[in-house]
Amino acid sequence: MLQRFLDPAVLSSISSLDLVAKTVVDGFIAGLHRSPDFGFSQEFAEYRMYSAGDDLRHVDWNVFARTERMYLKRYRGETNTQLTVLLDSSTSMGYASPGQTRKIDYARFLAASIIYLSVQQRDASGIIVFDDDVRQFVPASARIGQLHRVLHAINLAEPHARTDFAKPFLHFQQFLKRRGMVVVISDFYADPEMVVKSIMPLRGQGSEVVLFHLLDPQEIAPKINAPVVLVDMETHDEMEVTPEYAKGEYREKIDAHIELLKSKAQGAGLDYMLIDTSRPLDAALREYLAVRQGRK
Amino acid sequence: MGLLSPWWLAGLLAVGLPVWLHLLQQHKMDPLRFPSLQFFERRTQSSVKHRRLKYLLLFALRALMLVLLALLFAQPFLRRDMASSGGARHVLFVVDDSFSMRAGDGLERAKRQASSAIDSLSASNSAQVLSLSGGMSVLTQPTKDKAELKAAVAAIRPADGRSAFTEIARAAKTAGETLKVPVEVQFFSDLQQSSMPTSFAELRLPPNTTLVIPTAAPAPTANFAVETVTAPSTVSEPAKARLLATVAGFGTPAADKTVSLVVNGKTLQSKPVKLAAGGRASVEFLGLDASYGWNRGEVRIEGGDSLAADDTFRFAFERADPRKVLFLHEPGRTRGAVYFRAALEAGAENLFALEPMAVNDAANVSPSRYSLVVLSDVASLPAQLEDSLKKYIAAGGGVWIAAGATMASRGTVPLTGAKVIESRYAGRGEERFFTPGGFDLTHPAVAKANKWEGVRFYQAIKVDAAKARVLAKLSDDTPLLTEVRSGEGRILFFASAFDNVANDFPLHPTFVPFVEQSARYLAGIDARSATVQAGSFLELRQAGSKLGAAVDVLNPKGERALDLKASSTAETLRLTDEGYWEVVRQNGQRQLVAVNADRGESNLTPMPAESADLWKRTGEAGTAGDGSTTIEQKPQSFWWYLALLLLLTALAESFVASRYLEPQGAA
Repeated sequence: MLQRFLDPAVLSSISSLDLVAKTVVDGFIAGLHRSPDFGFSQEFAEYRMYSAGDDLRHVDWNVFARTERMYLKRYRGETNTQLTVLLDSSTSMGYASPGQTRKIDYARFLAASIIYLSVQQRDASGIIVFDDDVRQFVPASARIGQLHRVLHAINLAEPHARTDFAKPFLHFQQFLKRRGMVVVISDFYADPEMVVKSIMPLRGQGSEVVLFHLLDPQEIAPKINAPVVLVDMETHDEMEVTPEYAKGEYREKIDAHIELLKSKAQGAGLDYMLIDTSRPLDAALREYLAVRQGRK
Repeated sequence: MGLLSPWWLAGLLAVGLPVWLHLLQQHKMDPLRFPSLQFFERRTQSSVKHRRLKYLLLFALRALMLVLLALLFAQPFLRRDMASSGGARHVLFVVDDSFSMRAGDGLERAKRQASSAIDSLSASNSAQVLSLSGGMSVLTQPTKDKAELKAAVAAIRPADGRSAFTEIARAAKTAGETLKVPVEVQFFSDLQQSSMPTSFAELRLPPNTTLVIPTAAPAPTANFAVETVTAPSTVSEPAKARLLATVAGFGTPAADKTVSLVVNGKTLQSKPVKLAAGGRASVEFLGLDASYGWNRGEVRIEGGDSLAADDTFRFAFERADPRKVLFLHEPGRTRGAVYFRAALEAGAENLFALEPMAVNDAANVSPSRYSLVVLSDVASLPAQLEDSLKKYIAAGGGVWIAAGATMASRGTVPLTGAKVIESRYAGRGEERFFTPGGFDLTHPAVAKANKWEGVRFYQAIKVDAAKARVLAKLSDDTPLLTEVRSGEGRILFFASAFDNVANDFPLHPTFVPFVEQSARYLAGIDARSATVQAGSFLELRQAGSKLGAAVDVLNPKGERALDLKASSTAETLRLTDEGYWEVVRQNGQRQLVAVNADRGESNLTPMPAESADLWKRTGEAGTAGDGSTTIEQKPQSFWWYLALLLLLTALAESFVASRYLEPQGAA
């Protein structure tokens, strides 16, 4: 039942983004509790000496009884990190094939869900919305109200202009103060080498970088049954395309592009995941958690 | 090729629709947005070529569909050539054996001509022999056997029917449609003008029909004929019987003739008559002395001519005593009897003798001695008389009840037991009198009533007429004359009296035929004429009556006209031959019917030669100017093939459209 709320088509009908995020994460966590592979939050991580100011609720009184020393019991979920989501809001992200969710909407749901999840873990989180420039920037923080600030920035993300990875990533590097996690959500209509080259410096600073490559099913395997004129959403160029080409050469080219991006990303130590916007969001969330846990 | 409804071709304009859709619309392809074209390559030329080819096929199919649809509604046909002059044809040898062919050796000459024509019949042609008299009689089936055809011609005997030339066209049309070959009609006749229809168009022969009239029409032949005879069918007082004959001359000069009245072979009277050239004269004979029963009468014109058969006109009549009518009334009330007797005696034929009697005195009277019993405003009947009257009616007797004030006071109608609802009086107030308001003119009692115009009814008795047939009613819907059937008999109920008090009907002329016809009806006297034309139908029994009892009919030769089965089942018989036909009906009643040929046949004047020529040409529409060919083109519709082609095209269009016009929105 809860899985249904991870369906992008269902989420599209929910207007409030925080509600979307809450729905996704709650549904996702409910699913995790049934899973043997993942532990979350209640998993013991370490003991730490009590220091003034620590919350007495977290003191392990059993250990105190035996040793007369105060230790705090800490869990995995309580290990903090800094998450920054880079959300591509270029015009191409506004595409949706009939019956599907727009890529930008899917990306917003995903970004909101990841940030909601990280806030739940008391991680500092921030967002950068970019196209050919940085459109929204909320620095990573764990302060109260940060979730709403980030969600507001995500809400303002609408397809606009063309994609350019160089400028926003340069900007991001300037603000990066500490290591953390960087999640890039984009359709990556750019040269894979240039994309990886733009993102590489982040990895070099020690951050974990995850590339979520968002594509509509129609982009992966277009179904064109008759000759048709296509218009590039970013450049507005027109091109007449035959069904034969779409079924053959295009598929080969897009597959090669995906494969190249994946291999380049993995080669640079980046995590890569191709996401079909017709699929539920949980796969992406699992990937995020896996990366986050792997970093520990 | 032609079109039966060419205006439907306007539907071809609809072809403009696919032209507009395909040629004008095809380049208006809606572009589809796509995120990035970086992985696409331009392949314009091949796609456009492909697309155009596909759309052209679809366009062609759609245009073809519309063209076929328009053609289908326009009903195209092909002119199919029928057989030419060199091909086979069907020959109809039609011999006119009508009454007029008895003139001279008319029929024998026609038969000889027909036989010689059969001899010259081509071996490739089939033929039939038909005779024309009163109707077209087919004497042989289509055959090439000349012997059979000639035997059929030889078997033709003079008939007494009247020919109608319209039958020729009908027979030719039937043969042409059945055999699907050109038809040639060889007509052997005296070509009487009187056999032509009033409209020449009715003679028109069907296309591809050749009419051959072997010899020129014979010259007009002068002919005298007894045209009509008006004689009573029943004679009760021979001395008073009156007979009127009309003698006519056709193409004759002025002449003095002698006309004789012959009864049972005995000449009773002869009278000279002076006839103008081609004129008519009437002869009146008074007195028809004959023995009791049915008699055979003739009116003859002496002198003889080429057509002797029409010089004699036969008639039949029955000599009988007047039938007794019992008129029962209340003691002292004899006014009704006076008027009733006067009406009966005023009739053309003195058929009835009235016996008035007070109802008190009639207790022991046997009704079976009377043809008819009249109850004139009788309050009640002696029980014995009532019983005997009921038996009388059940056995087929007729009773006429007239209701007046006396019967109204009693409350019920004698014999029928019908309840008197009210006695309607016309007061001095709003309605001074009632008038008759409706008649069932199919009933013999009122058929000649002439609606009783001007008759005033001051009193009428309204009775329960639920089970009765209403024959006449007053303007306020009160039943005035009703009939009730009881057993085999009939009861007529007249809701007023005959006394000239309750109404003034007895003073009106229409009272006489009303009383006479009603009395005839109740007495069971057959109103059918005893003298009819040849070809008339004799009613043997009423439709729906019980079958079983035989009706015997002897033709003029004394032979039985009906076989055993037909005599017990046939409802009518056609009287084809001149002479006296004897009929013995189911109830044993004997009747004699005199049959005379239609005197229209007596006029031997032939049709004008130009009319005959015109008639011949009506069937030669397909003949070329030089007469060498008779190629007839018959329209043959082929809509069925077009409909099939349309269906196939529609299926192909659906297939092609489903292949090429799938939604492109998938991108």
